[in-house]
Amino acid sequence: MRVRVLLLLAGRYLGGLRRRTHVAAVSGISFGGMALGAAALVLTLALLEGFQHTIRAQLAQRGVHAVLRPRAGATLPGGDWLARLRARHPELELRAIAGGSVWCTVPGEATPAELEVVDSLSRVEINRVLAARLGVGAGSWMAIASPRLVLTPLGPLPLRSRVEVERVTALRPGEDRAIVRVGPQLGQALLGAAGPRVVEVRSPDPGRAWDVASHVQASVPDGVEVVSFRDLNRPLLAALALERVMIGFGVALIMAVAALNLLCNLALLAAEKRLDGALLQAMGLEAARVRWLYVLIGLVVGAAGGLAGTAAGAAAAWLLDATRALPLPAGVFIVSHVPFRVTPGAAAVVVGVSLAAAVAASLPPALAAARGDVVEGLRYE
Amino acid sequence: MSERAVPPGVPAVRVEGVRKGYGSNDRRVEVLRGVSLELEQGEMLALVGPSGVGKSTFLHLLGLLDQPEAGRIELFGHDTGAMTSGQRASWRNRRIGFVFQFHGLLAEFTLTENVAMPLLIGGAGRREAAVRAGELLAAVGLEHRREHFPDQLSGGEQQRGAIARALVADPWLLLADEPTGNLDAATAESVFELLRNLHLDRGLSSVIVTHNARLAARCDRTLRLSGDGLEAA
Repeated sequence: MRVRVLLLLAGRYLGGLRRRTHVAAVSGISFGGMALGAAALVLTLALLEGFQHTIRAQLAQRGVHAVLRPRAGATLPGGDWLARLRARHPELELRAIAGGSVWCTVPGEATPAELEVVDSLSRVEINRVLAARLGVGAGSWMAIASPRLVLTPLGPLPLRSRVEVERVTALRPGEDRAIVRVGPQLGQALLGAAGPRVVEVRSPDPGRAWDVASHVQASVPDGVEVVSFRDLNRPLLAALALERVMIGFGVALIMAVAALNLLCNLALLAAEKRLDGALLQAMGLEAARVRWLYVLIGLVVGAAGGLAGTAAGAAAAWLLDATRALPLPAGVFIVSHVPFRVTPGAAAVVVGVSLAAAVAASLPPALAAARGDVVEGLRYE
Repeated sequence: MSERAVPPGVPAVRVEGVRKGYGSNDRRVEVLRGVSLELEQGEMLALVGPSGVGKSTFLHLLGLLDQPEAGRIELFGHDTGAMTSGQRASWRNRRIGFVFQFHGLLAEFTLTENVAMPLLIGGAGRREAAVRAGELLAAVGLEHRREHFPDQLSGGEQQRGAIARALVADPWLLLADEPTGNLDAATAESVFELLRNLHLDRGLSSVIVTHNARLAARCDRTLRLSGDGLEAA
């Protein structure tokens, strides 16, 4: 197709300002609408990505990166595979956890808790949920009562151990139960010699969270299932992805409004240029090329508006993030300011949506212009 | 078929029993009822007749802008009824030049660009088309107006520009629909003179629709279109 003449016509119709036609004005309005829609979409996606990136980073920083659990039964298979795994991946932190239910008490207060026996631990840690329920902190003393019974002159009583809380740990993502973590010696005394239920695997580098499972996969026996970071957090990640799609779709409706504006303006242009279309066809321009002319004009407006809006939106997002222009109250949010993060993928999606909206908007007037009766168009003069 | 290879020995236009109407049912208007015509190559034909009798419709059929409901139209031996829409567009671009009553120049383009437009549509480069357009503008005496826009020209200049555009692709057939109808008498005279000279210089076959009996008389032949068809005037 000879596109040069179409480019010439489209360029001149769009640049009609110097001929003082209203074409340039309505083209400017269409351009502004598309740019505004693209900028709004970029800013929204940047805001969502900023928050979601923070959440994913927090997940990787505070959560476990993979879990090894038994394919069948309640405990992991025995053998030296865990020692070999540690030797093969010294860079990874592996915490073999046994456990059961216990009661934790302080004078005047008692609460059920999960007891986790961590093989790499030598002190007593409780999480914030337990600390809050008992009103204790680091340095406080409390008692742990296990389901195991001991015979006393008063009859069988739960086995109790009085311990000093050495550390209160932050909550991991999704952790809402009261948990007390102890070393293997105390754990065995409280619960007996039960094998570990799971092994938690972490990399010191949170950036490797997504790859840890694949690294250890080859080093575990058949009876052990490796649950990846992605699978561990699948519901949350799916919710985040859904949130991004739905909000992105909602904001993209602005683009639809801008596209409708473009459609109206192209329809006006086609009506104003009806005689031109007929004259061009009288000079040998095929009807199909008249159609392409209006699609091209729509594409130019959509592409220019989309690119300008994307650039403006990305610049605004960068500025808002770099200057921390929107602070958040400390202690309420995990970040100090509203984060914005523009990804190349999001920018490409916005430009793509702009182009698609422009093509969709230009098709009805383009088809109508190409279908128009040339003879009627010539009488239009 | 080369650009200027006009097929010898065949009429420029042969029309047989062409019918054309508009509307449907009780609002049907029969405009052309079995019109026939033969135009020899190199002939300049004036077509006269009252308003609304179908002169422009007939010209649009000859110019492949519209199709007859019945009958046959041959241009230089080619049956136009058998042409595809692409072939018809190509003929309009290369073989047929149009001049309308109103100049029909595109407002956003300079005179050079307007004249070059048929060549650009045909795929010529801008430089090549501009050179050719310059030659045509010189031929119609408008070389000093090359970069002017249509609204910066007088009526006569606009129409001379339209004639240059109609001839820029070296057409075989020139169709003019009341080319002087919008001009004062003196300007109409000069524009018609230009048209006549270019017709002769370039060996064109031309059909001129006009209401001006004096100008029609200067054509090779004059036919009157009426409800009964074409007859010598």
